[in-house]
Formats: sequence, C-alpha cells, structure tokens
Amino acid sequence: MSKEMRVPTVGESISEVTVGQWFKKDGDLVQLDEVLCELESDKATFEFPSEASGILRIKAQEGDTVEIGGLICLIEEATEASSSAPSSQPSTPSAVKPAASGEVKDMIVPTVGESITEVTLANWIKKDGDFVTLDEIIAEVDSDKATFELPAEATGILRHVAKEGDVLEIGGMICKIEVTDAAPVAEAPASSAAPASQASSSSANYASGHASPAASKILAEKGIAPTSVAGSGKDGRITKEDAMSAQKPTPVAQATPAADPKVAEAAPVVPGSRNVRREKMSSLRKTVSRRLVAVKNETAMLTTFNEVNMKPIMDLRSKYKDQFKEKHGVGLGFMSFFTKAVCVALQEWPAVNAMIDGNEIVYNDFCDISIAVSAPKGLVVPVVRNAEAMSFDQIEKEIVRLAGKARDNKLSIEEMTGGTFTITNGGVFGSMMSTPIINAPQSAILGMHNIVERPMAVNGEVKILPMMYVALSYDHRIIDGRESVSFLVRVKQLLEDPTRLLFGV
Amino acid sequence: MYDVIVIGSGPGGYVAAIRCAQLGMKTALVEKYSTLGGTCLNVGCIPSKALLDSSEHYHNASHTFTTHGIELKDLKVNLGQMINRKNEVVKQNTDGIQFLMKKNKIDVHQGLGSFVNNTTVKVTKEDGSSSEIQGKNIIIATGSKPSSLPFIKLDKDRVITSTEALNLKEIPKHLVVIGGGVIGLELGSVYARLGAKVSVVEFMDSIIPTMDRTMGKELQKSLKKIGFEFYLKHKVTSVENKGKEVTVKADNGKGEIVEISGDYVLVSIGRRPYTDGLNAEAAGVKITERGQIEVNDHLQTNVPNIYAIGDVVKGAMLAHKAEEEGVFVAETLAGQKPHINYNLIPGVVYTWPEVASVGYTEEQLKEKGIKYKAGKFPFMASGRARASMDTDGLVKVLADAETDEILGVHMIGPRTADMIAEAVVAMEYRASAEDISRMSHAHPTYTEAFKEACLAATDNRALHV
Ligand SMILES: Cc1cc2nc3c(=O)[nH]c(=O)nc-3n(C[C@H](O)[C@H](O)[C@H](O)COP(=O)(O)OP(=O)(O)OC[C@H]3O[C@@H](n4cnc5c(N)ncnc54)[C@H](O)[C@@H]3O)c2cc1C
Repeated sequence: MSKEMRVPTVGESISEVTVGQWFKKDGDLVQLDEVLCELESDKATFEFPSEASGILRIKAQEGDTVEIGGLICLIEEATEASSSAPSSQPSTPSAVKPAASGEVKDMIVPTVGESITEVTLANWIKKDGDFVTLDEIIAEVDSDKATFELPAEATGILRHVAKEGDVLEIGGMICKIEVTDAAPVAEAPASSAAPASQASSSSANYASGHASPAASKILAEKGIAPTSVAGSGKDGRITKEDAMSAQKPTPVAQATPAADPKVAEAAPVVPGSRNVRREKMSSLRKTVSRRLVAVKNETAMLTTFNEVNMKPIMDLRSKYKDQFKEKHGVGLGFMSFFTKAVCVALQEWPAVNAMIDGNEIVYNDFCDISIAVSAPKGLVVPVVRNAEAMSFDQIEKEIVRLAGKARDNKLSIEEMTGGTFTITNGGVFGSMMSTPIINAPQSAILGMHNIVERPMAVNGEVKILPMMYVALSYDHRIIDGRESVSFLVRVKQLLEDPTRLLFGV
Repeated sequence: MYDVIVIGSGPGGYVAAIRCAQLGMKTALVEKYSTLGGTCLNVGCIPSKALLDSSEHYHNASHTFTTHGIELKDLKVNLGQMINRKNEVVKQNTDGIQFLMKKNKIDVHQGLGSFVNNTTVKVTKEDGSSSEIQGKNIIIATGSKPSSLPFIKLDKDRVITSTEALNLKEIPKHLVVIGGGVIGLELGSVYARLGAKVSVVEFMDSIIPTMDRTMGKELQKSLKKIGFEFYLKHKVTSVENKGKEVTVKADNGKGEIVEISGDYVLVSIGRRPYTDGLNAEAAGVKITERGQIEVNDHLQTNVPNIYAIGDVVKGAMLAHKAEEEGVFVAETLAGQKPHINYNLIPGVVYTWPEVASVGYTEEQLKEKGIKYKAGKFPFMASGRARASMDTDGLVKVLADAETDEILGVHMIGPRTADMIAEAVVAMEYRASAEDISRMSHAHPTYTEAFKEACLAATDNRALHV
C-alpha cells in the first residue's frame, strides 16, 4: 500500500506552491514526520513532513510548481513498518501546517502601572504550541496590585518562554508567537486525535519530572513517585526544594508498626488528618501584607468608635427598595447611605480626606472612596470616584461593577489607585467591632460592622433597636481628635437621620 | 554490641564507618594492616598519583622546559627520593584517616577480621592473639588484590604487580607490561617518563578496552611519543624469569609466537575480590563463582544484617564507587533511601594526557540502538592548551539525536580528570548539550573544550575550529 502525499492547503490566498529542496532521495526509507522537502509559496517557505513511514517515491521535482492538492510524492509503506505501526499512524494529520510568515512576535511584559516593576505569570490560558488569534487572552499575570489578562499581540503559534510562577520584570519576555496567516486547517482533528498525554506534555521534554540526586532521595524517603511531583526546575526538573515540599497525593492513614502498648497508653491516637499544605503567596497577598505592616509602623494610628441606630435607614430601605430596584435596576444597599454620609462629613472635615506627602499635606476637594473588597487573591480596594457628586443609584451600580471585577480578578491598576478615603465592611462576615488599618497613603478609614439588636436609651426609655458600631481609624499625625471624633459623630447623625443628606444639614 | 562493624578500611570501609558514626551509630572498624586506607591509600590511587606527578615533573623538565625558556643543567632522577616522597604522602594520608576515626569516635580494631557467626567478628592480631566483637550490622569492605594468570609465577622481584612497581629500587631499562588497562598504563607511564622503554602486551585490540574506542586510539598515539610500544591482540602464553631478564612469549593471533624480553615484567591484568581469611561461610554469606560477595540492589548479602561494598562486590573497581557505596549502606542502615547512579560514576586514567569518561560509550550506544550525535573538540584548537603546550587529545560529547540529552562524555587531554566532574553534574541533571553550550565557561580554560564539544554536538556549532 502506498500513501499519496499532496500539497496541503496552506493559506487562504495561496493556490500553488513550488517544490524547493528535497532532503530525501527517491527510494529513501523515511520515517513518519520526517521532513521530506521544502515547499515555497509566495508568502512563505514551509517544511513538508512525511505522513507515513516507508519508501519515498518522488513525483514532483525541485522547481516544479504544484497546485494545492497536487501530488508531490508517494510513500510506499514498508511491510515491516506497516505491520509494526498500526493503521492509526499514517492518519495523523500532522502534515498540514499553516503558512508561516516566518515572522516571530516577541511578547514582553507591558508597563502596567507606575510603581510596578515586576509581575508574576499566574497561569497560561493557552498552551505552548497552541494556535492563538490576535487579542485572544493567552495568560493571566499577577502584579502586586492587580491581576490582568494578557492578550495575544499576533495570530500564530504560541511558544511559551516564561513558566507559570515565574517572576518577570517589566519588559521581560513572556512568549513568542510564530506569526501565521490563518488557523492550521487540520488543527481541530489533530488536537482531538492526539492522546491527552501528548497534549499536556507539549511544554515538557525528556527531562521533565527528572529528580535531582538530592530530590530523588527525599522523594524515595517520603514514598512519593517523581511522576506525582510538578518540577519547578528547568524543563520541569524536580529540585530539592520541590521534593522537600512535595506531599503524598492522599494521606493514607499511615500503617504504623505495632506500637509499644505503653506508648499507646500515654498518648491516645486521635484519628484525623495531620496533613499540612503549603501554597505560594500570591504577589498581591505578599504586597498587602507588607503594606499593612508598613502602615502600622509608619503612621500614628488610632481608632475611635461610635454607635449608629440603623432603624431609620432600615425603614427607608424597606419602604423604597422595590421602587428603587425597579427604577434603577440595582438594589438599595447600605453602602450608598454610608458613602454619601462619609462624603458629606469629609467635606466638612477635610483633614480626614487629606494625606501626608513629605512635608506637605495634600487636601482633596473631591471624595474618591475606596471600597475594601475581599477578592480570591487577597484584599483589594477599588475606588468610587467623585462619590460626593453621585446619586444613590450611581453609587450602588458602581460598587456592584467594581465588586464583580474584583471577584474575577479583573480590576485594573487605575481602578484601584488614587482613593482618598476607605470604607471597609467587616460586618458582612459578622464582626461587631474592629480597628481597621489605614489604606496608605490615605489618612483614615471607616469600619462598618454587623447590625445587632441592642437595648438603647431613647428619650429616657429603653428601646430595642438595630445598632451598628462604626469605627474610624485615623492617622493622628494629621487628624486631631477633634476632627476625627466630630467626623464620626457627623456620620452617625447623617445615618440616623438620612433626610439630612437631602438637605445637606 | 556495636551498631555496625566495618571490615576493611579502604575508601569503601572508612567512608562507611564515618557516615555511620555521623548518623549516630556506634561503629567499629577492623583492618588487618597497621595503616588504614586500604589499597587506595597504601598501594593504589594515592601512591601511583604521587609517582605520576613526580615523573611528570621530570619529564617536563627534560623535554619541554627549554621550549618554555627554562634551562637546567645536570638534570637527573633520584628514584630513592621520589619513592620516599611518595611514602611521605601515603603516610600523611593514612594518618589523616586515623585522625578521622578518632574525630568520629570510631573504634579501630587492628587485626584480621573473620566471621564467627552473623553478628560476631573475631579480630586476630599478627601475634596470634585475638578478641571478639559483636555488631547488629556488619559491612564487608575487604577490597581486592592483583590477579594473575595461572602460568605466571609472581616472584615480586622481576615479575611484579602494581604493589612492587610502586617501590622499585631502580628504573627499569625495559619494562614489559602485561595488560593495557588503567593500572598498567599509569605505572608504565611513570617509568617511561623516567627513561624506561615500555612494552605493553594486550589481549584485546585496543588499550583501555572498556572505555570509548576513540580514547584508546588517542592515548596510544600520545604514549608512543614517550617511548611506549604496543602489542595489541597478543595473548601472553608464558613468562620466564631468567635472573636479570624476563622473557614474555605471546601469540600474535596469526599463529606466531612473539618474544619480548625486559628486565621487569609488570602483571596488571586486573584485580580480584579479596575475601581470604574472612571466613564468610561462618556467617552464611554467599560468594559467587568469581569470588565476589553476592549482594542485591541494596548492597545487602543473602544474610540480612550483612552488607558488602567496594571492590569485593560487582561493579567498577574504583575508589569513588566504593565511597558512594559506603555512604549508601550507612544511610540505608539509618532508614534513609539513598541511591547511586552507577551509569554516572566517572572513570579516569591518570596518564598524560589524562583520560576521563562518564556515561555511555559510542560502542554501547550503537549496541543499544540509541540514535545519537557526536560532537568533538580537539585540544589543538584550545587557546589554553596551546599556551601550556598540552595540545594532545580531544573532548567527545555524545548526545541523544532527538532530545539532545548528553548520554556520554569522553575526554582525553590535560586535566580531564578534574573536568569530567562538570559532565557528571550535567548528566545527573539530564542536561542537554545545548544547555552546556549556553553556560559561560571561563576563558582561557581547558573546560572551554567541553563547551565547544557540546556546541559541536548541538548543531555542529563549535566556534573555534
Ligand atoms: C595501582 C592502583 C592504582 C589505582 N588508582 C586508582 C585511581 O586512581 N582511582 C580510583 O578510583 N581507583 C584506583 N584504584 C582502585 C582503588 O584502589 C580501589 O577501587 C579501592 O581501593 C577499593 O576500595 P575498597 O574499600 O573496596 O577496598 P580496598 O581499598 O582494597 O581496602 C580493603 C581493605 O580491607 C582490608 N582487609 C581485607 N580483608 C580483611 C580482613 N579479613 N580483615 C581486616 N581487614 C581486611 C585490606 O587490608 C584493605 O586495607 C587503584 C588501584 C591500584 C592497585
């Protein structure tokens, strides 16, 4: 049996190719996927690999022009080859390659924000060798401020350069794209036919999973197969560190040898896992932790508390929430009340909305309110800008938008920079009281908490009312007690009588 | 009761003892000789290297110094002093081992060790007095002795082994070496450099026949320059001591008998495992037909608490192999799971040029049907080698044809004994030839030749040829 090898479709506009150099002679024994000759089109030169193993019979000579689909050669399958290689082999549609332009696009880490000098490659969305199209998202990158998506800068074959977990400097190389005209024609069947193992090993090579001498001793002692460890070394080699932090996939209850009965008496064995897990800190979390400690050390932080009777707001909400939802398409939450109240109070006590810059104090005539959101990779603080000028529904919509992006790790750096004051709601998790840490370089932060029913004295009477403690942590270096306490009292006033917000009194 | 008793204080035994002690085991070491260190320190690696270095200095002084612009008058060899210095080096080294035993609180029992049963070892001193010690585990590290042919009478006067060759009173006029292996060529080199004519009679068709074929060919060329002559494919049939002369007869394979006469004959046809006097049967330890102690992959004998390492077990008879095995057994006893990659134990011949290799030879790759590519770089093209006038030899890198993984490295040239370490590291990490060629190597150095050979293997990209 012989296999006819024809000119593959190489690109939309290409109708014929010229046979370039033959690398194999007529009558040679060739292997599957071995490159036989070069084909030249008016766009690019590409290699023509054998679709089967066997004896080559050349039909088109060097310099011949052949149309797409035209016969180039025959592969007479050697009886030996065909008996050892089942019929599935020749059907591997590997011969059809997209017309490569020969151009390779280097993709580097873009400048993502002023203060960011390095990023971590969080994960590859597209695999090494995948065909990608321009602007398709190919990877996620973490910076210490945000996670952002990396779109392909060209259409072609993706070649990974950086590995997941690599820390890259701005301008550092992430990947290359071998630019092609169009998607490889036979790509779909090829990838579906390829066994899974092959697909996943596309970025692996012969040394992947090879344990270094020290690592292999450690793994042997832990009873872990090297195959179950993801090596972080070059090409997936397993380093000593990988081995040290490797864990058994399932912590099977250890078959402890018949223990000394006396020992058993002294320390009864409580069944249960003693497993520990170690995970790398995301760069976001690392930065947050570093900054939180820095803020505690570098500011004169103080917290003042007050209590707020939430009944009036709750009454208002239950009265208008349906109408509000209907009209604006967004729920009426507490956040809009708090944001508005804070904006009014900030304008009255500008020091709370100010920040220290060297020997100067920067006062802000606008209120950009940072809202603390707990995102999967750590705490993020997107900003609602010019909140002082926003209506209730605008604030609610903006918060919903930002919270959604935070959840999906899609916030941009701009969306998180430049806030002048922060609101954090520990109450959503049930906290009754806390002393929030300032979101530097801001000078103050308002902590909201959960609402509980408490006996409160109202006009000489004890009433059970829904109550919330509010806390204001502030930098005593620029905010005096008079300002901070008055600010909080003002916020309390506005919340307990929201109509004041309407009249600005 | 000791945790471990080690019998034999060669590089296998003393290293095992130190590692056991480091791991907190109460350890005893039994050695029949008064000095520690075994073959390697007393009559092997160290003294042979001491003489090789001395004779190399002499050879350079008499052959290359004038070219360097150094002129000497009345240059001559004082063999007595040369041997004295060697003995001094040996003494310093064996004393060093003595110190290491003290430092690690290892009890040294001087005397012949023999098994009473699988936990008891009798130590018999030279004066006949004896004592018994007991151990939970016992490690046999009794090493090897030179082997001979049945028809050869080793008189240790004219017909000698490596041990005597390290202590000759005069420089032979014509030294006949039976066996073209490492020991014969090294000791032959010593005397060739000092002025002896050296004839090597080898049964196989190449010298150092276990190494890559290219190495044997190159080494043969270099040794010829210093007065070696070779009788390859010659089978020795008789050795006759005629007083001041010894005659060696060999069959040249064409049915002819060749006669070679010299004043000394060095028999260096290999070494045999040494278990004489050990009384291994008393413990039930099995010994193979070839005289080796039989061990499994954990170097454990058929008696579970008895292990064996070094020359007395299978594998290359090399000091560093014995050392690795010493550590291996000590750690195994401590419940750890060490391992040794036997394919990556380097082999070295300390002639000049030196020969060093690790991994597969070209012949082995062919035999296994592994597709490979070879990259070579001659020292002639190395700036460093030219500066030092050591331009003989080459580096050959064998890499997998598809993955580019380095499968074997064979070097002959200046200081390759030290350079081979880089290849071992590379191969332990399964580096590709291109990996090495992308690492910066200081210039000018001999190691650049390794990088260049890797470049050649990668894509035939060597820069300096
Ligand atoms: C001339 C020469 C040059 C060499 N050069 C090199 C070289 O450059 N590099 C290299 O790697 N290798 C070299 N070797 C080989 C190397 O010396 C051996 O591989 C190594 O010494 C083996 O170590 P071992 O611990 O197994 O045994 P050995 O070193 O042989 O030690 C065994 C010890 O056990 C003692 N012993 C034996 N039986 C008993 C008993 N019953 N009771 C008490 N003690 C006993 C012996 O006296 C001896 O001290 C050379 C060998 C020779 C002969």
